[in-house]
Amino acid sequence: MAVVQAILDGLMIGGVYAVISIGLTLVFGVMGIVNFAQAEFLMLGMFVAYFAWAWLGLDPLLAAPLAFAVVFALGAALQRLLIRRVMKAPEVAQIFLTVGLLIVLENAALLMFGSGFRSVTTPYQTSSLQLGPLFVSVPYLAAFAMSVASGLALFLFMKSSWFGRAMRATAQDPMAAKLMGINADRMHMLAFALGVGLTAFGGAVILPYLTASPTVGAQFVVLMFTVVVLGGLGSVAGAVVGGLAVGVIQSLSALAFPIQLQNLVLFVVFIAVLALRPKGLLGAAR
Amino acid sequence: MAEPVLDITDISKRFGGLQALSKVSLSIASGEIVGLIGPNGAGKTTLFSTLVGLHRPDSGAVRLDGRHLVGLKPHRIAAAGMVKTFQNVALFLDSSVLDNVLTGGLMRHPVEGARDLARRCLERVGISAIAGKLARDLSFPERARVEVARALCTEPRVLLLDEAMAALNHVEMDEFMALLRQLRAEGLTLIVVEHHMRAIMSLCERLVVLNFGQVIATGTPAEISRDPAVVQAYLGRSAA
Amino acid sequence: MNTSSTRLVALFALLAIAVVLPFAFDPRGYAIRILCLALLFAAMAQAWNIVAGLANQVSLGHAAFFGIGAYTSTLLLIHFGLSPWLGMIAGAVLGGLAALLISLPTMRLRGHYFALATLAFGEVMRVIANSWGGLTGGPVGISVPFAPPDLAMLQFKETRPYYWLMLAALVLVTTIFLAIKRSRLGYRLRAIKENADAAEVIGVDTTRTKIVAAVISGMITACLGTLYAQFQFFFDPDTVFGVASVSVRMAMIAIVGGIGTAAGPILGAFFVIPLEEFANQIFSAQAAGLSQLVFGLLLIAVILIEPRGFMAIGPRLKRLLAREKADG
Repeated sequence: MAVVQAILDGLMIGGVYAVISIGLTLVFGVMGIVNFAQAEFLMLGMFVAYFAWAWLGLDPLLAAPLAFAVVFALGAALQRLLIRRVMKAPEVAQIFLTVGLLIVLENAALLMFGSGFRSVTTPYQTSSLQLGPLFVSVPYLAAFAMSVASGLALFLFMKSSWFGRAMRATAQDPMAAKLMGINADRMHMLAFALGVGLTAFGGAVILPYLTASPTVGAQFVVLMFTVVVLGGLGSVAGAVVGGLAVGVIQSLSALAFPIQLQNLVLFVVFIAVLALRPKGLLGAAR
Repeated sequence: MAEPVLDITDISKRFGGLQALSKVSLSIASGEIVGLIGPNGAGKTTLFSTLVGLHRPDSGAVRLDGRHLVGLKPHRIAAAGMVKTFQNVALFLDSSVLDNVLTGGLMRHPVEGARDLARRCLERVGISAIAGKLARDLSFPERARVEVARALCTEPRVLLLDEAMAALNHVEMDEFMALLRQLRAEGLTLIVVEHHMRAIMSLCERLVVLNFGQVIATGTPAEISRDPAVVQAYLGRSAA
Repeated sequence: MNTSSTRLVALFALLAIAVVLPFAFDPRGYAIRILCLALLFAAMAQAWNIVAGLANQVSLGHAAFFGIGAYTSTLLLIHFGLSPWLGMIAGAVLGGLAALLISLPTMRLRGHYFALATLAFGEVMRVIANSWGGLTGGPVGISVPFAPPDLAMLQFKETRPYYWLMLAALVLVTTIFLAIKRSRLGYRLRAIKENADAAEVIGVDTTRTKIVAAVISGMITACLGTLYAQFQFFFDPDTVFGVASVSVRMAMIAIVGGIGTAAGPILGAFFVIPLEEFANQIFSAQAAGLSQLVFGLLLIAVILIEPRGFMAIGPRLKRLLAREKADG
């Protein structure tokens, strides 16, 4: 029964992993850039939600759209000012620009918010639902539900709005998209803003069960990359599968290993996938 | 026919839905110059890439001097004595011409020996004058010749030339063909993909025609030019 | 002939100045420690340069080798009283093994993918060092036990001997870099960088070449980790296995100076390290993180202004001047 419980917990957490990693995979899929700073936007999302709770008394789940909006705007600005300039540069430049961004965001947060840990209190923090022999923690369930909702919203946006279709066209064939009158530069901005915004949204919804600090991103870097590599870098559907898989792997390995070594298990999965199936377990599906 | 140096039996290669090569068999004698022709997309470049190990064939065997090559990495096949040039020219663009060619010699020589050999190869191909230039700054015909010099610097037994004469003018082409004949006289075996019919007719004693990944004809240039299947292959395409 | 001999003279003059330079500083002062760190980081960036600069395999995980070197010699010293020189050799062996281990599954990867895999490797080493407290002392850190000051035990009372040691390390690593660059290995690495398929076809064993380079680079980096441990006397997993503090800093120094060149890492280190220390001096009293912020901003600025670093500025100016002349 412990195994079933672990799988259930893993799926709950994995839903969130999926959403934060969709942001990363979206940026790669549309722009061809691996954003090493992606986890810092999760940290920013957590802080937006934290301050919305501390100052306005807003529940983090309700503050998630706000976190999305704030970080979306920041992402658009960063793309315009920085990322755009290395779109045609060698890979080394692309890698180190986002690495630089990672360092800047983390330390800017350290300056602004201090190095302390901040957590919120919610009425449902410690409650859980019982389903027969299984328990579901309410904060996990709420975060999962919000993640599913945002994932569906993104799906609808990509499928049925003009922007969504134009963005997918840009990802698939930049030249053809250009001929169709799609402004690739604008699509890149939208993709980057949307990508970091989604990750921030995920940061907000996990605040009820995770403390915020400027260095929280470091915990998620390897995890997010494992998710997207597992699903295939650039594949949104893959990120969902990868997120759920990583959640389950993590919570199952918690049964067998001390908590610190869970990252090692993830790493082994990560390297194995990179080495054996660099396009992800699902192949090159988009 | 003399003992074959290169023996290709029933090579097949499929990419997704496309059967790029199907049961290609060829036997090449030592010291031959064989011309490989066929319409665009017939599988000539794929055959070369498969022979040197860039693709692994789905089935079939390749033997060089009796030694099985399928499954070996390209550098092992190069060490066994077979290299190809790249049709779209794959030089090391930020290196000098000499360094490009020298790199081919490193397989069998230390750096100094490779450099001497590279100089000789540049001379043979007639491009000593541009040894110090960056590959990036060369014209297309110059690049193609550096590509040939680099392949020669690996001291191959079998050399696969993928449209090395494209963009050469008449004088250059005559010089180049003289070089190939000279190399053949020294014991090198050559397979040449070329669109230039005049060149290929005068250079090769045997032609192999590929179409849709299959060998549709082999024979002397005179036989091939009369072969109805070949005429059909070319005309059928251009008419369509 | 003439230019190369003047170059040689200039090089020896520079080296002579570098050797006597510490006499101009207070032997117990702060400035000479910064010089030591600059020399050490120059050597580290040079080691990174072997793989990243010559083969364009950009590693974000070199901290793994650095930390292995620092911990191996220190633990051997603590538990067995082994001289750090021997510990350095042991560390180099382990560092080389680690490089081999990570190379085998990642060798087919390029660009972003390779950077990702190496980043994850460094991070996992950090996590292990933090969680395996029984061995490493965990997040609290570890101290190098004091020994009577002596070259054999790699400990000195003053900073000057450390300075000369670091200088010797830098000269050695730079010599190794130049030797590799001019050797078969160097030509092969450059061939891989510029066109891996073509390199294979003309007989370059690309997998083996990349692994050999990675192992050399990992071993050197581990040796420098030992030097760092002996110099600082105290360290923890986050400093020696850190992404920003080691992996990115090594890379950044090489990039700022000029990736793939021998002088680049040296120029870069003597620009970045003093600047960082300067920022630390001014800002760290005010707020934690400010000097790191400067570091990150600097990295972004270099990438946007001239990703080929200082070494590209000379030729760029020359071209500019030539154009002016042609116009005028």
